[in-house]
Amino acid sequence: MRRALFWLFLGLSSALAQGRLEAGVYGVPGALAPTLEAALALEAGEAYLRLGPGRGALGLMGSLSLGPLGYLAYGVQGEVGEGGLGGALFAEGGAGPIALEGRLGYRPQEALPLFPEAGLFGRVALRYRLLPKEVVGLLLERGEVARAEATYALREGATYTLGAGASRLPYLVLGWKGEVGEGMEVLDLALRLGGLNRLEAGLYLGEASLFLTLSYPFAGSVGAWVGDLGLEGGYKGFPYAWVRYIWRWP
Amino acid sequence: MKRMLALLPLLFALALTQSATEILDRVEKNLQDPWQAVVQGLVQGPSGQEGLRARVFALPKENLFRIEFQKPGSLEGNFTVITEKEVWNYLYLTNQLIISPKEKAQVQGLGFSPQGLGDLKGLSERVALRVVGEERLPEGTAWKLLGQAKEGQGFASLELYILKADPRPVRFVFRDEAGKVLADLKVVEFKRAALRAQDLKRYPKDAQVVRR
Repeated sequence: MRRALFWLFLGLSSALAQGRLEAGVYGVPGALAPTLEAALALEAGEAYLRLGPGRGALGLMGSLSLGPLGYLAYGVQGEVGEGGLGGALFAEGGAGPIALEGRLGYRPQEALPLFPEAGLFGRVALRYRLLPKEVVGLLLERGEVARAEATYALREGATYTLGAGASRLPYLVLGWKGEVGEGMEVLDLALRLGGLNRLEAGLYLGEASLFLTLSYPFAGSVGAWVGDLGLEGGYKGFPYAWVRYIWRWP
Repeated sequence: MKRMLALLPLLFALALTQSATEILDRVEKNLQDPWQAVVQGLVQGPSGQEGLRARVFALPKENLFRIEFQKPGSLEGNFTVITEKEVWNYLYLTNQLIISPKEKAQVQGLGFSPQGLGDLKGLSERVALRVVGEERLPEGTAWKLLGQAKEGQGFASLELYILKADPRPVRFVFRDEAGKVLADLKVVEFKRAALRAQDLKRYPKDAQVVRR
């Protein structure tokens, strides 16, 4: 069935216009599994397919561009897989001084790496530009962890973020993002300490991007995107590795 | 004789149409070298009238334009890049670069489109302009051009003032169907400058690129 869907999508993709295909291999000790994500541009948006071990999803995404004022993307996703059906609704974007991200979904059990949440999951993130250089944010999330978080970001050359959150216990949020080096590479650091302990770092070089995540209780990952090749490895209660490649057309 | 008299308004209108084209040709010839300027004035935004200030950079020979928004505060850090075939809109708050084909980007239906500020030739293809006279402005004597926009431009008519001594646009007035002013913008701090295509196309390396 999975193979038939794959060939159907591939056939459709060659017949239709713009699209992308992301194929990968996800490995945990003693097992390797393929992952596949494919998307086709339609007149009114995009249709996509996601297939991973034990679960698959079909989705439709639309978007609305407001030129220099903003952009909104929205969509719906239906899933089949082990444990039963699932689905999600999502919308994200910004207009003028407001940026909003909303997501609500359900799946009976997680299916790594493409479907990490289980049960009822959701996320609402709202950011408001108080002044040209100041942004306040509010985040409510129920997913791999449940948390509520409020932040204040100030841009003075670099962007400094200070905030507080709660995930059973309260935690502190510190962030720094700015251009480093002569090539204006971007370094993005976020540290959460307390009820949630996590360091997230991203270095964006243009042709390549590097990522690092470290959490306590111990979990972590390192990753890189070099052009259209994605490499990721880490530990999430068990070691894992994930290699992906994206083809785009035309 | 009567027939000739009846034809006169038509010939007169034709002459004015031709001179609008001639004026725009002169502007095109005059603005072949890279230039930059500031466009400022009032625009009708979603929340009412607000001040707009944007820095425009142009490489006309390469059909490349960049508009960096400085006001209103909610748009500071946003910029638009117009290339031969695409329009790029960078949104600071969501750190996204939205890339649309030109024909798709023009249908925005949201007030005036800022694309014409840099790309006058492109703008004149979407507005049937004619010369209606001359006016004295602080910058000098200017031709006044008026035209109705084709459908889907986000505005119904345009008043455009072109400086005679140094043919270049100095004022844009965009109006809706009811004649209400959507944007009244002046071009100031104009200068020819050494610009590079890679600088006009620059965007943050961590931006999420979305192709529509």
